Amino acid sequence: MIRTEEMLLNVGPQHPSTHGVFRLVVKIDGEIITEATPVIGYLHRGTEKLAENLQYTQIIPYTDRMDYLSAMTNNYVICHAVETMMGIQVPERADFLRVMAMELGRIASHLVAWGTYILDLGATSPFIYAFRDREMIINMLNELSGARLTFNYMRVGGVKWDAPEGWVDGVREFVPYLREQLKGYHNLVSGNEIFLDRVKGVGVYSKEDAINYSLSGPNLRSTGVKWDLRKDEPYSIYDRFDFNIVTRDEGDCLARYHVRLEEIEESLKILEQACEQFPAEGEIMAKVPKIIKAPKGEAFVRIESPRGEIGCYISSDGKKEPYRLKFRRPSFYNLQILPKLLVGENIANLIAILGAVDIVLGEVDG
Amino acid sequence: MLGFTKGLKYTLKQLTKEKVTYNYPDEPLPLPDRFRGIQKFYPEKCIVCNQCMNICPTECINLTGKKHPDPTKKGKIIDTYDINFEICILCDLCTEVCPTEAIVMTNNFELASYSRDMLFKNLEWLDENDENVRQVNKP
Ligand code: SF4
Ligand code: SF4
Repeated sequence: MIRTEEMLLNVGPQHPSTHGVFRLVVKIDGEIITEATPVIGYLHRGTEKLAENLQYTQIIPYTDRMDYLSAMTNNYVICHAVETMMGIQVPERADFLRVMAMELGRIASHLVAWGTYILDLGATSPFIYAFRDREMIINMLNELSGARLTFNYMRVGGVKWDAPEGWVDGVREFVPYLREQLKGYHNLVSGNEIFLDRVKGVGVYSKEDAINYSLSGPNLRSTGVKWDLRKDEPYSIYDRFDFNIVTRDEGDCLARYHVRLEEIEESLKILEQACEQFPAEGEIMAKVPKIIKAPKGEAFVRIESPRGEIGCYISSDGKKEPYRLKFRRPSFYNLQILPKLLVGENIANLIAILGAVDIVLGEVDG
Repeated sequence: MLGFTKGLKYTLKQLTKEKVTYNYPDEPLPLPDRFRGIQKFYPEKCIVCNQCMNICPTECINLTGKKHPDPTKKGKIIDTYDINFEICILCDLCTEVCPTEAIVMTNNFELASYSRDMLFKNLEWLDENDENVRQVNKP
């Protein structure tokens, strides 16, 4: 008689394919996963608790460190929440700068997602190409805000800096460049037989599952749900731009891969239009009091980050610090479906499925 | 096999492209003027208003002032000024609030050292850090 035994395998927290400090305890029977338990919290810094002792402007640099791959959207959500509470109208030029910065951030984030995903699956060179192009975006954002990742660029009522000389032209030139590169990306990876074998039909979930698990962003749209807050609940000036919501129906890892790449193209469309419509002059800051005090009450706003819906809830008692601050962090919600997806899968598919969810641990742990 | 060969073609094409890497640290990294690096401090400009200390989100600035040595002049002058770079996140808020631009950002970012104590920088050190100082400090 052959006696088999279940084995407990510990993946992470220090593992290159978990994209941060994420631990996964998997029970395997042979090569088949029977149970998976994610363990999170290694990167918990208590942003929400810290915020209770900070003024609103001081909270902004902390939000940079949640989803550090697209810090601009995090900057925006907190400023947007405070502006909503105080009824501040942001000047047009500032809105344009914000949208351009956010869309550049979205592209940079999707490039990392793309490059690292292929890297997880074992191909090294696409990662380098993705980072080569991302570096150009990072340089542009560096010129704009003075930092490469932790921008701290937006302020309640506007943005800190105006665009430097020639910056908008730089963005305008970047759009056709990246369009050209995207074709190369498809040539390089999208048709590769090994890649397709690894991701096609792997990690499938249905529309209903996606909604029940509160998934958002590309993880939701890969199942065919047409939901993008930039279109469905337009904030800032997104209603002025013409772009599509990218969806796929298959709900597998390949669908998520394609949604991300196509979203880059849609973001490029927005950037192109924003460069065209960019106001020649104007204020970059609204008139705001020196000490920002949100009025008594509460507010919840949500916007579309590269990873999904990021929300910010503020409860204020009229002081210069929030009474309670809560972020709805999309990676945290997107991760919840992982144990369900992994059961019954081959251990080799674990990384393919985890990578396609595209988590950022800074955001999962808060 | 088609997908494979397409990918290989793309890779081969890249061989003729220009290099995109920097020869760091042999050559300094090109950085924009706005880049937020280690601060430079001008003791003579500081009016000890404490705004930088109060805005700092990580509470890493410590400063003390003393009476102006010239009894005919009012106000205070700076006595000690320390920044703890173990926790400074180079967020730019201190330079943003300073009314006299006594504290400004530079393009220097190399802070690595062998001991944590070395990351405590005092007034003299911050005063001497006077290379690549940011030209435009206020928007
Ligand atoms: S840069 Fe930010 S963290 Fe550093 S000393 Fe200034 S305010 Fe404090
Ligand atoms: S804000 Fe400027 S002037 Fe005021 S104490 Fe700080 S460095 Fe000195």
